This record gives sequence, structure tokens and C-alpha cells, in this order.
Amino acid sequence: MTWERAGFALLAAGVAALPVFVSTAYALALLNIIGLYAIVTVGLVLLGCSGQVSLGQAAFYGLGAYGSALLSRGLGWSPWLTIPAATAAVAGVAYAVGLPALRLAGHFFVLATLGFGVIVNVLMVQLVPVTGGGNGLRDIPPLQIAGIRPATERQFYYLIWTLALGALLLARNITSHRTGRALRAILGSEVAAAALGVEVSRYKMQVFVASAAYAALAGAVYAHYIRFISPSPFALYASLFFLIMAVVGGLTNIWGGLFGAAAVTVLDQVIRAQVPRVFPRVGGEYQTAIYGVLLVVIMIFFPRGLVRGAIDLRHAQAHPLPVPGGTADAEPAEEWRA
Amino acid sequence: MSTLLPQLLLTGLTTGSIYALVALGFVLIYSVTGILNFAQGEFSMLSALVCATLLAWHLPLGAAALIAAAAVCAVGALTERLAIRPASGAHPLTLLIITFGVSMAFRGIALMLWGADPYALPEFTPGPALVLLGGVLIRQAIWAIALSLAVVAALFVFFARTVPGAAVRACADNAFASRLVGISPRRMSLLAFTLSAALGAVAGIVMTPITGATYDMGLALGLKGFVAAVIGGLANAPGAVLGGYLVGLIEALTTGYLSPGYGTAITFLVLLAVLFLQREGLVHGARRRPA
Repeated sequence: MTWERAGFALLAAGVAALPVFVSTAYALALLNIIGLYAIVTVGLVLLGCSGQVSLGQAAFYGLGAYGSALLSRGLGWSPWLTIPAATAAVAGVAYAVGLPALRLAGHFFVLATLGFGVIVNVLMVQLVPVTGGGNGLRDIPPLQIAGIRPATERQFYYLIWTLALGALLLARNITSHRTGRALRAILGSEVAAAALGVEVSRYKMQVFVASAAYAALAGAVYAHYIRFISPSPFALYASLFFLIMAVVGGLTNIWGGLFGAAAVTVLDQVIRAQVPRVFPRVGGEYQTAIYGVLLVVIMIFFPRGLVRGAIDLRHAQAHPLPVPGGTADAEPAEEWRA
Repeated sequence: MSTLLPQLLLTGLTTGSIYALVALGFVLIYSVTGILNFAQGEFSMLSALVCATLLAWHLPLGAAALIAAAAVCAVGALTERLAIRPASGAHPLTLLIITFGVSMAFRGIALMLWGADPYALPEFTPGPALVLLGGVLIRQAIWAIALSLAVVAALFVFFARTVPGAAVRACADNAFASRLVGISPRRMSLLAFTLSAALGAVAGIVMTPITGATYDMGLALGLKGFVAAVIGGLANAPGAVLGGYLVGLIEALTTGYLSPGYGTAITFLVLLAVLFLQREGLVHGARRRPA
């Protein structure tokens, strides 16, 4: 626990100091995107802690973005007001979706969130009078610092990373106290948890709503940061992208969410820059091939994520004999027993 | 309006027969292994693109289709060996995520090999369209409906009348008990993936003369087939076929009467309704017991 606190303090200090060393607009923009993705991914990991996987995360991200953009454009409210308003509204939507969806077990819940995500995306494309359809929404009001001028890239950096670290801390607190113990019990066995008096459906709902609110918050900030939104970044593909980030970091590892978001975003940039040099003719979303293979390899060999996977691997090398409950082979069953 | 309806029904039956094949592929893998194979649509995509390429190399259509189907069967078997088996025994959600990865990998590889341009196949038997009950039915649509019915019939004969078919059914019913009588669930899993790939290949090759083929056709096709399988009850083969026709008809009717853009949304609303109201699907079937 103290180690973790020290780690968090170190991270916060590093995040605060980083803009001193990073000056290019590109690097700053990349860090901002990582921060936004980290918020979404930590939400997904929070959900993973209750044994659930969602393919609707991009839809909640998009609803937050469209919600805040429409509120600020239509009603003329300040984005400082519409960001929390949109986040709260999306939390309400998640509650309504969760009521029937959370009654479904295992992969049926995944399917329900997938269906929800597809429907939300179709509505974004089709409700042209409201959403602008495929052309999206332009001229989204900027965030204003001190009510005068739009926030700069650097100011967004501090805003986004304050939110990201806050989200991380909150998620860590949720998963380390009473709720966290309840979630671990649910992850182990819903029936056993219920038998011990854990209110399974209440905790699952809380975590689901929280994960949607995380995504919506990131989406709302994204809308006022980029100031242009269209349906394509919120499609099923994006939900899979967030899932990859969560899986890279470990589906039940809160800190892993930050690591996964950073690793996959940087990898994405490297692939986009390097692959065309080797294969000049490929265009479009060819990097899906690499992500697909990555996803398969991680799920087969490191189902607990790359960070834990590396620790387990070193552990296995240091202790060649099987350690009770500690070998890599025992992990999937231990981690994901339904 | 009255002239529109027969046309929409014919279109719905045509696409429905394609969805039925894809849905059967889902059901086959799910009942034997308990895995929802998200990459099912990619088998159709690969077969269509391989077939188009072989045709461009001046092979006759029949040979091209057979080679493409055989190649995709091999891809299905390889998928099982390389991606599914190494994770055997893992949580169903882990396996589901693996199939997402497989699907993304195939889509990306297809984009690298074939690019984003659409490919076409000629109709199997070119000729004027038929007029039926006030609607127009192109010849390829008859091929699609007839072939899918023939494949479904052949599959039912395989399961009902042959020893390997009985072994697959035994494994779907109880993997542990089938091991006790000498049936290897691993071999059945391999067989299920290979057969599912074959079903996907037939669907992909038959539909391409109508719709064309692109590297990203598998996602939409797989999702529709998947909705059909869920409507049918997931472990229920006749239900999946009915579900396929139902999804095809729903899609055609919403496209005709509502708006083309909402077809997908309505289909998925039906999926949610089925999931929320009755987990076993509209067509009641035996629920899969955990192996």
C-alpha cells in the first residue's frame, strides 16, 4: 500500500514535470490523447474487476462527446457545465442499459453491450438533424480558462491528466476497500459472493455505471479539446481498441489501464509511421492485423496483462517448481472463474 | 406499397439464406466448444476474395470456388490450432476476446493482400431474372436460397445419420462423457471449426455475385449471422436457420419501409429484445450445459 502511494506520488510528480521537458505540440497532443484513453480504459478495467467485459465503451465515450457538444452548442452553456452534465446524463443511460443487461451472464452481457454500441453508432450516423450525421459536429465551443480565451494544448494537458490521475485514484480506492473486496468475491464466484451477503447486482450496477461515466467524462473533454466530432471514432472498432488497451494492462489491474492506454497509443503511432515505409502500398486500417495478433497472443500467454505477465514470468524462472496458486498456468482459472 | 412487399420478401429470403449459413457456423462451434466465434464472418470474406483472385488467374468458377472453400477450411482448422487450442480451458470471455483478435487479424491481413477495393464474382448461371409473385428474383438469388437449403439439409443428414456427426453431437451434449466413450473433444473442436469455415465459405462465395466482396464485409455479415444464431437459441441448429431468414426479412422490410440506414439498428434491437426477454432464444432449444 505504501509502495503504491509512493508510486502514485512519483507518477503525479512526473506528470506535472513532463511539460517542462516536452515542448513539441505533437508530443503534448499525444500525451493528451493518452490521458483521455487512460480514463476510458481505467473505466473498462473497473468493470473487469467485477468479471464483466463491455463492447459498448466507445458508445459511452461517444455519448459523452455528443452530449456535451450538443448541450454547449444548443443551449449555449459553458463547457465547464456541460462536461459534468453530459457525464451525469450518460451515467443515467448506463443505469437504464444496465438494468436489463446486467441480468445476463458472461458473454451474453458482452453481446448486449455490443448491440447497444452498434445501435448508438447507427443513431449517430442516422439522426442527421441532431448529430450532423456522418459529417459530424463542427465548431464545438472551446473550454475557456478564466472566461477569456480558449485553453491551450498545455492547459488541456494539465486538465486531462488531473482528471486521469483522479480517475485512477478513485478507481484504486473503489477496488481496494469494502467495494473492492466485494468485487473480488464476485469475480471469484457470484453465487458464493451472494451466499456471503454481497449484494452482487448492486455492486455490478455501480461498477458498470462508474465505467460508463469514466468513458463519458473522457468523451466530453475530447469534444471540447478537438472541437470536432463524427461517428467514426465511436464505432465498434473503437470499443475493441479500448478492450485491447485494457487487456494489455490486465483486465483487472487498475494501474494496468494507464499502462495499456499509453503502450497501445504509442504503438499505434509507431505502426502508422513505420509500416508504410516497409509496405508502401498498404493504406487504411491495416494495423488491425497487428492488433488482432497482439490480442490473441496476450490472451493466450498473458491473460492477466503484460505487467503481471512479466512478473509471473520472472517468478516462474526464479521458482522453477510449481508454486501453489502462483504459476502462470493457474492464472486464467483463478482470474476469471464465473 | 403493395408491389414493394413481394420484392422485399424475396430480397429478405435471399439475404436470410446467407445469414442462415453464417448462423449455423456459429451454432456448430458454440455447441461443440462453448465458444462464440466472432471471426465467423471473416471465413466468408476470405473465401470470396480468394475465389475472386483465382478467377482472375483464369481458373473456371467451379474450380475456383472449390479451391477457395478448401483453403478457408484450412484457415478454420489453423485458427482452432493456433488461436483457440493454446488457450483451451480458459474462461469463455478470454476465448471470446481471442476470437475478436482473430477477426481483426484476418481483416487486416485481407486489407494488406487485397486492398480496400471491392471484388466481384460472375453469377453462377447468367441469364435474365425471374418474375415471381410480382417481385424480381435474379438467378443468383435462387442459387443462394437453393444452395443454403442444400447445405443445411446435408448438415442435418451428417448429424443425424453418420458416425462423425453423432460424435459431434455427443461432444456438444457432454464433452466429458464423450471422452469416456473414446470421442476426442479436441478433434471434434477442430472438426467444428473446419465445418464452420466451410459453411462460411459457401455463404461468402454465393453472396459475392450479388453484393460484391470487400476486406471488411466479414464484420457486418458475422454480426448478422450472430444475431440470427442468438434468436435461434445459440445451440439450436434449426432455430439458427429460422433466425437467419428472420433477420434477412427484418432487414429487408426496414430497408424498404423505414430507411436503409436503420436496418442494422433494428436488427440489433431485436437482438437486445431476445437477449433480455428470453435467453434461450425465440425458438426454444436445449440450453448448453457447461462441459
